[in-house]
Amino acid sequence: MNSTLPSGPAVRIEGLDKYYGSFHALRKINLSVERGEKIVICGPSGSGKSTLIRCVNRLEQHNGGRITVLGTELNDDVGNIDGIRREVGMVFQHFNLFPHMTVLENCMIAPMIVRKRPRAEAETTARRFLEKVRIPEQAMKFPGQLSGGQQQRVAIARALCMQPQIMLFDEPTSALDPEMIAEVLDVMVTLASEGMTMICVTHEMGFARRAADRVIFMDGGEIVEQAPPEEFFTSSRNERTRQFLSQVLGH
Amino acid sequence: MVSLLRNQKVRNALLQVLYVGSLAGMVLACVMIARRNLAEQGITSGFDFLFKSTGWDVNFSLLPATANDPYWWYFLIGIVNTLFLGSTGLILATIVGTIVGLARTSSNELARLLGRTYVDIFRNIPLILQVFFWYAVITHLPTPRAAHEAFGILLSSRGLYVPIPNVGGVAFAAAAIALIAAIALPVWLGRTSRLNQPVGERLGIQLTGAAAALACAVVILAVGRLPDLALLDFPALQGLNIKGGLRIPPEFSALAVAIAIYGGSYIAEIVRGGFKAVGKGQMEAAQSLGLSPWRVFTLVRLPLALRAMLPILANQYVWLMKATTMGIAVGFTDFFMIVALTINHSGQTLEAIGILMAGFLAINLSLAAVFNRINKAIALKGNQLRG
Repeated sequence: MNSTLPSGPAVRIEGLDKYYGSFHALRKINLSVERGEKIVICGPSGSGKSTLIRCVNRLEQHNGGRITVLGTELNDDVGNIDGIRREVGMVFQHFNLFPHMTVLENCMIAPMIVRKRPRAEAETTARRFLEKVRIPEQAMKFPGQLSGGQQQRVAIARALCMQPQIMLFDEPTSALDPEMIAEVLDVMVTLASEGMTMICVTHEMGFARRAADRVIFMDGGEIVEQAPPEEFFTSSRNERTRQFLSQVLGH
Repeated sequence: MVSLLRNQKVRNALLQVLYVGSLAGMVLACVMIARRNLAEQGITSGFDFLFKSTGWDVNFSLLPATANDPYWWYFLIGIVNTLFLGSTGLILATIVGTIVGLARTSSNELARLLGRTYVDIFRNIPLILQVFFWYAVITHLPTPRAAHEAFGILLSSRGLYVPIPNVGGVAFAAAAIALIAAIALPVWLGRTSRLNQPVGERLGIQLTGAAAALACAVVILAVGRLPDLALLDFPALQGLNIKGGLRIPPEFSALAVAIAIYGGSYIAEIVRGGFKAVGKGQMEAAQSLGLSPWRVFTLVRLPLALRAMLPILANQYVWLMKATTMGIAVGFTDFFMIVALTINHSGQTLEAIGILMAGFLAINLSLAAVFNRINKAIALKGNQLRG
């Protein structure tokens, strides 16, 4: 997929429906993310933000509509799913590092097995990205020996080592202590400035202001409003958005 | 004086002295009563009997045995038999438990139902009933004349007959060790961090290791081969009975099957718990990196589940090792039965029971020590784990 870069948006979502049993989690979502675009998705809990980005790499299976990632449709075809997961990195709220592998092994395992990179090359890449997230000295430690902020930065490095074209962030700072949030956001801002396509579910409105091209507000499984951050924060017309913003920014 | 008694340290010390003193007194009283009673019955205590010949036979032994052999040799035979039965039972129980446990965690409804039914049935019937059941089944197999045959193995009511190589005892043991190494080496090579290749890409080295160990086994067998005999001794019907090969008596098979099936139902629950303990997050992370379902299983799910299982598994293994003493119920000459026969024939009850207890302590403490070592080696490091 690396060699053929089809034109068109990085992610196109058309009429997406998702049910959990009888609960309608996502209702007819339409969203298009351009290459190099940074999207921030926010909204109250239970609004379907996480479900939406988890559909993009098929951690959740959608029930209706179409998702096209980098020109490949996400359907039951296992080859398509594998191909898309190779190109889409994901960072989780709870880091989800492999606790039985060192930081370096966490970063090397997927490139070596999925991308079939030789060990030396995988290690060079891993060390480069660990340097980028500013923890090269922790390479030989185990995840359990690091702080939350450090673990999350390793998780970002691990995803980047696959050299993905799109990065998904699912509330990456929600499980962190306040002083660790900044170190993770710094890494994300750097990544954004380098042109990575990013879809971030986050409540960090400061990050949205600094890095996002577009902010999307979701509620009740629907996209209520989307706008560039400046417009979104200052002149939202929607009642629900304004209420949410007053709660998030209000103190 | 009164104030001294109110001192906490003095009180604690006094209690300790009282406790140790009364314990020592009880032990002393027991020993003296036992000595007097033994003397009254004209039994000489001591371990001299170990060097007298037994005068009776055992029905199954991996070591050469005659009625002229001394008691200590019979004890050794008993321990070897117990270890043979125990390790066979443990390995089979682990295989059964893994399959059933995986079935119970599978997404397939039928597999889950079958697994659950299995556990419900076999975990809730006493082991000794299961031993008797399998013993009855096995002794009702066809007579030697109508024995089932497959790959040179004969199965009849008199037992299971398997071909054995015509080699000396030492060479046979050495070859067995080499064979175990052929299985263990690839596993070890797959995990050790000293190799340059990453875990999961060491197939070449693993295969080389296994091949080398197998070659060793073949060489040892060729060197230790007894002259003028075929390499393999196949069992065959001669007259009314089967001759040749190694006979595994129905008593052993019944016990091994019962321990495998009963123990398997407990191990299945341990396996299920282990897999349930693996965080969904780690698996999702592995999936999102593009790893195939098989790789997610072998690289993330299984290693993490194993760490959750091992401590409980060690417990279960010790338990099943002790279950080999059921041998006496169907007449398999395990360590316990040898000790029971010794008591009948020599009257050295206390000594024999002492040896029995020491033997089982040694077996199970070593088992526990090995597992503790493994546990320690693979324990997850750090305490900041989440998810």
